[in-house]
Amino acid sequence: MTVEEREQRWAEAMRAERRGEAVAYERMLKEVAAALRRSLAPRLVRAGLNAHEAEDLVQEILIGLHGKRHTWDSARPFLPWLHAITRYKLIDFTRHRRRETTRRVDLPLEDWLKIVEAPADDASRSTVEVDRHLAVLPVGQRKIVRAIAVEGASVRNAALRFATSEGAVRVTIHRAIRRLLGAAEPTSTIEPSLRNEHDKHR
Amino acid sequence: MTSTDDLIRSLASTAGARRSASLQTAFAVTGAASLACALLLVFLVIGIRPDFADMAVRMPFGFKLAYTGSLVVGTSVVALYAATPGASATALYSLLPAVIFLVLGVLFDPTGFPITGRTNTAVVFCVSSILFLSLPAMILLFVAMRKGAPTQPLFAGAVVGMISASVGAMAYTLACKNDGTAFVAIWYTAACAIMAFIGAVAGHRVLRW
Repeated sequence: MTVEEREQRWAEAMRAERRGEAVAYERMLKEVAAALRRSLAPRLVRAGLNAHEAEDLVQEILIGLHGKRHTWDSARPFLPWLHAITRYKLIDFTRHRRRETTRRVDLPLEDWLKIVEAPADDASRSTVEVDRHLAVLPVGQRKIVRAIAVEGASVRNAALRFATSEGAVRVTIHRAIRRLLGAAEPTSTIEPSLRNEHDKHR
Repeated sequence: MTSTDDLIRSLASTAGARRSASLQTAFAVTGAASLACALLLVFLVIGIRPDFADMAVRMPFGFKLAYTGSLVVGTSVVALYAATPGASATALYSLLPAVIFLVLGVLFDPTGFPITGRTNTAVVFCVSSILFLSLPAMILLFVAMRKGAPTQPLFAGAVVGMISASVGAMAYTLACKNDGTAFVAIWYTAACAIMAFIGAVAGHRVLRW
């Protein structure tokens, strides 16, 4: 579909919606969702977020589009209107996700470190066990988690050693915790399936 | 993925259901209500000028009305632009008449009155009166702006602040005892700037959707 075709098709569907034609509108929303899914994943990665969060953002944009559809003037082109909404929602989403992430990381990190610190008297056994658990992590995450949780480095020292920022170390640990929790509970398979969908679209 | 499909189905099921009023209508109604509130406050709290009938036919009052009127119209057009995603930025040109009045008023003040007003407290009284008169307008216009889809909340909030101050200033022309065009141009504009700042701060919080 070229841009002009898309513009015409979607603008027509938006006009159809105003006449109460739900079928045309639903088809358009599906097409918009598919197009957004493709274009948003790389933009989220560039903004420092995970590509699999794109689906949440797609839903946010669809809700915004629907809730504010009366602000589209049918005499004006539809795509610039949609792009402005997409851009706004992307900025809003990344801002709030980042804030949430720092908040989410702060508490569990301290708790988690305490939990790992506790059985330190039985050092050799727990190290072997931790290593076995850490095997599910990608190399980068494993290195940082081992430095902090097993070798007892501070977040700052770990950041210095791996030549990255403290924030990045915290985010990495947060991701690692999520992954470890996921590995501990085989029922939560939502994330991997979403990621596969994205690989398909890319 | 299925949750998105569910969402789409539920959104589509309400197709054509809600026909809310156009933004133009919403802003026009809100603007009129705001002006009515501000006028009411002028009559009740500040009181119109004692020599109103005499002053109303002279140039300074005409200038005040023209300047505040062009501000109200210009900022309203910009507000529509701020509330509509992907709208054309040429809307910003509608502020041009107000800017011209502002420049003319400052540079070619024919009255020769001092720019700090007739008394020491003129500036403070004038600016704070306009801020006071613009408060109801600000609340009403934020409600209207939330009906729109402002994609730059900071900017949209600032514009809401500016319309409110313009409406407040327009009502205040009935009470204002300072006739210097430079005074009007500078201090009415200062009130606008303050309200724009307050609006921007508030918009950042209030106008998320």
